[in-house]
Amino acid sequence: MTNLVKVSPAADAERYRTLIRESGYSPLLLLDCERLRFQYRSLAAALPGVELFYAIKSLPNLDVLRVLAEEGAGFDMATSAEAEMLREVAVSPRRTIHTHPIKRPRDIIDALRYGCTTFVVDNPDEIAKFLPYRSRASLLLRVSFRSPSAKVDLSRKFGCAPGEVPALLAEADRLGIQVKGLSFHVGSQSGDSAQHVKAIETCNQLIRERRASGGAPLSLLDIGGGFPASYTLGEVDIDAYCAPIRAALAQLPDSVSVLAEPGRFLSAPSMTGVCTVMGRALRDGRYWYYFDDGVYGSYSGQMFDHTHYPLEVFSDSAERIPSVLSGPTCDSIDVIAEDLSLPELQIGDLLVGHCMGAYTAATATDFNGFPRARIVVVNQHQDAALTG
Amino acid sequence: MTGRKFDETLYDAWCQQFRVDEVLFEVKTGHQQLVIFRNGLFGRVMALDGIIQTTEADEFIYHEMLTHVPLFAHPAPRKVLIVGGGDGGILREVCRHTAVESITMVEIDQAVVEMAKEYFPNHSAGAFDDPRLNLVIDDGAAFVANTAEKFDVIISDSTDPIGPGEALFTKDFYTACHDCLNPGGIMVAQNGVAFMQPDEVSTTAARMAPVFADYHFYQVAVPTYVGGVMTLAWASDDATLRQQAREVIAARYAASGIKTRYYNPGMHVGAFNLPQYILDSLAG
Repeated sequence: MTNLVKVSPAADAERYRTLIRESGYSPLLLLDCERLRFQYRSLAAALPGVELFYAIKSLPNLDVLRVLAEEGAGFDMATSAEAEMLREVAVSPRRTIHTHPIKRPRDIIDALRYGCTTFVVDNPDEIAKFLPYRSRASLLLRVSFRSPSAKVDLSRKFGCAPGEVPALLAEADRLGIQVKGLSFHVGSQSGDSAQHVKAIETCNQLIRERRASGGAPLSLLDIGGGFPASYTLGEVDIDAYCAPIRAALAQLPDSVSVLAEPGRFLSAPSMTGVCTVMGRALRDGRYWYYFDDGVYGSYSGQMFDHTHYPLEVFSDSAERIPSVLSGPTCDSIDVIAEDLSLPELQIGDLLVGHCMGAYTAATATDFNGFPRARIVVVNQHQDAALTG
Repeated sequence: MTGRKFDETLYDAWCQQFRVDEVLFEVKTGHQQLVIFRNGLFGRVMALDGIIQTTEADEFIYHEMLTHVPLFAHPAPRKVLIVGGGDGGILREVCRHTAVESITMVEIDQAVVEMAKEYFPNHSAGAFDDPRLNLVIDDGAAFVANTAEKFDVIISDSTDPIGPGEALFTKDFYTACHDCLNPGGIMVAQNGVAFMQPDEVSTTAARMAPVFADYHFYQVAVPTYVGGVMTLAWASDDATLRQQAREVIAARYAASGIKTRYYNPGMHVGAFNLPQYILDSLAG
């Protein structure tokens, strides 16, 4: 797993340099609201009739929430802190669902106080937690579909086996707790949508079996996230990716409504990282460049999310030197990329990381006292391009 | 025609919706979201965290029943404690009892009082200026736990237990209230809509049982507290106080000269009769 590195003309760095100068700060993460809107609209067009609930965890940022709320998105939240952010942005809680399958009593109370009334569960103990709130809350059962091809297999940690669904529904019925639908998450960055399709088909069967049994109908299917981002400077053909999903959804009974929880697809391409060479050293014939951002900061996704971001450096030189791009902390694991062949960089030169919106700022730390990247919002308003 | 709507967020499967004709006030304070708006049918409406708290049009029903039932059941209430009730509605009704000598009201948030005076002036109708009032800004649960004062009637006018009013639904709170009641004293408390929250009846009953010699519930139908009748909790060490003849209540009511719009002696006596599903919850 390596990072793709692009060498661009020195002049191309100017717009990033200007943003650093204007903000008086480095490192930066540039949040492009126009790109975020484009991503939302692309996915909405690729999944007509599917309500999109943004997975806040991928990039918990108030400006992101505001833009997506304006676009009509709902929100997938998992904690009380995320509920606080939604309250801040004044999102109607009826457009939210609480998706963490394991909840403390406080999490349930805080979510209900916020006004979120849809919760995800995957086991009998968790169902029983809703006994006191059975008239207020409705549940989705999370079903597990293992996804060996996904980089992040989210069905390993959560979700019940499809075969367990009837027994869990019977348990909820016995307790008088409403289960209104099913959810699944096939994991992220799988190459195609075959896992989505398989999961939808199995859920369709479970939904039909429930109807046949005469039980209260399952009227909502949450197809989770997992819509991919491109980490190779290319574009994802989301319409093609979703075509098999659309076909599978068309087989559902008409009474079933569908929602999805996109995180990465919306946030990843919407943010660009910019950091600066703080110092450099020639060691054993390789140039080590020490940047003010690294794997304890915005590049944390290289550890937690198994993602290597496409990088860009700027130089007009044709000469190439073995190079290592390192983060600022004292820890030797804090290396962004090595075994690279790059033009010589100077102290003060920039490194740009593309597609750095998802699981970057979200998982950054303050380790070693290095401050996190500052998020700078560009194209905040839709008409900015028109009004200048 | 769409326009702005307010959807109450109490239940996932069902909600009441208000047409919002004008937003008068909207604020996020701490961990709460408060909105006051105007509605064609209910007048000014206040919602906290997506749940209707009070409306101009129907507030009298709740405030009259939570106040006059204990105050006419008690033969001579002189000292009254109100816990919560920052909008002033309970205070207004208590103030109408001229034989009451002192009223202590403990509200956790001064801002609620100020906001209610401005946007719901008819709730308090000047009662905040009553010389008998001692307004204390404090946590109601802490106040009853620490006070050395004794009261004849305690009225707990709180929010829902899933909310800031949580501490006012605990055994500790009921115990502290019991300990600051005079002999023959009565405590009443808002206790939710039983059809929608049957557990609130059984939970409150289980928590009051070890504390008071007698506890029960009485009912009131408030249009905007939707889902069937609301229950109000009743607790005392004297079981006869909720079993008095209508004539006894009627005599006190007549002597008071108080004019009401929902409460009357018949409603008072009848309110203690409960639907079977509530009695079943009460029995556990």
